[in-house]
Amino acid sequence: MASAAPAIAVTGLGALSALGYGAAETWASARSGLSGIAPRLFDPGPNGPDAESYAVAMVESDGLVARIEASLGRRVGASLDPFALFALAVAQEALAQAGLIGAAALERRCAVVFGHGFAGIHTLEDAYERFYGRATGRVHPLTVPRVMVSAPVSAVAMEFGVKGPVFAVSSACSSSGHAIAQGAGLIASGQCDIALVGGSEAIATPACLRAWDNLGATSPTTCRPFSAGRDGMSLGEGAAALVLEREDHAKARGATILATLTGIGLSSDAYHWTQPSLEGAVSAMTAACGQAGMLEQDQILISAHGTGTPLNDKNEAAAIQAVFGARAPGHPVIATKSAHGHLIGAAIALQGVIGLMALNEGQAPPILGWLGEDPDCALDLVLGEARTIEAESLLLNAFAFGGLNTSLVFRRADPR
Amino acid sequence: MATLEDELLDLIAEEGLIDRAKLVREATLADVGLDSVGVVSSVFAIEEKYGVEIPEDTQAHTLGEFLDFLEGVIEAKRKA
Repeated sequence: MASAAPAIAVTGLGALSALGYGAAETWASARSGLSGIAPRLFDPGPNGPDAESYAVAMVESDGLVARIEASLGRRVGASLDPFALFALAVAQEALAQAGLIGAAALERRCAVVFGHGFAGIHTLEDAYERFYGRATGRVHPLTVPRVMVSAPVSAVAMEFGVKGPVFAVSSACSSSGHAIAQGAGLIASGQCDIALVGGSEAIATPACLRAWDNLGATSPTTCRPFSAGRDGMSLGEGAAALVLEREDHAKARGATILATLTGIGLSSDAYHWTQPSLEGAVSAMTAACGQAGMLEQDQILISAHGTGTPLNDKNEAAAIQAVFGARAPGHPVIATKSAHGHLIGAAIALQGVIGLMALNEGQAPPILGWLGEDPDCALDLVLGEARTIEAESLLLNAFAFGGLNTSLVFRRADPR
Repeated sequence: MATLEDELLDLIAEEGLIDRAKLVREATLADVGLDSVGVVSSVFAIEEKYGVEIPEDTQAHTLGEFLDFLEGVIEAKRKA
């Protein structure tokens, strides 16, 4: 942060993914080396092609609505697209941890900014299947409000009575990184004291998965970040949220401070739809680490973008080496998409939640799916099982299709 | 066996996110919390289940009037 900007604390976390319901379950699974990625059959229905199997990381749907309804204390039913339902769940969890449910500060001095790569895909596919595939052509009358990219933040604002700045942002795999940056900016500019930020994604549908498959970006087995023989990403569904808060505001109300946001680096490759550039990644990481004043630190926990595609991981490894030079081998690198899949618009927010819990516990979760060393990815990878770490700061990376990059740095709250 | 009216009330409760016990014939739609979103969602679900097309010009004020209107459309389809 610039010297005049207020310090920004993290006072609440929420997560929902294939690794579990809630941040604690998600973290426990990641630390234990459990994978949420599994083959699953997707049936387009009677008017489409044959069903196909894809390796994806899905949120457990059995009992999900009932759990969310219990946490909110009211019915939700099937009224929302999953990408909005997931957002509501993590918003509730993060605000509850921050002690803000029902707080007066939520009404006027709070912002909500969420990122999504896609919007309302489940609802849209259902509508199109009905319209193009069935004689009646009947489409659900609430299709429009359910597919709006801002549906999740509207649902959150209505649920918790937030009347300040509320909007969604989109930048593919960087979406929730930009949401976090926007929330911090709103606090720094004095427009709010609290910003609920994060992302959600729900794109595991027959036609959407076919589109990803046709792009050649997904693995038929599983995501293997930085490994020899890696062959693509595994898509995942879910959401994550963080409560950002002006540090003095959090202290004044006695909130527990989990971490502080100390650096933000945003850049664009201006280069290619699917290929990353070294310059763009280096630029984002350098800006974030420079702002946080940690380019010379001995040990930083790096939560890599680590998609498991041949090109991303090679480029990201080169970028980490370029930014940290001789210090690069001292920084443990984790890549949790190998466990929870790639949540696209929610990815960096979820990795933030896991990374902050790793930092505060001093345990780095293992990279899964490892087959062997790739000389192009010579980093200090955390493999096999969770590793004890001394790092006090976390660097998060997201390098999106279309060349949109976000790097964020957080520092843990209290010395262990 | 559930009557048609019971089935309709179950659907309205589900789609309108309303406590089933609140749904009594004498109550107005507003009284039970069935807003425009709840009405269109319920109508869509009923059209799906019974294969009917429900006109948009319902003048129903109470839940009983709404049920009579819906049952009329569904019965007409069954007799056709």
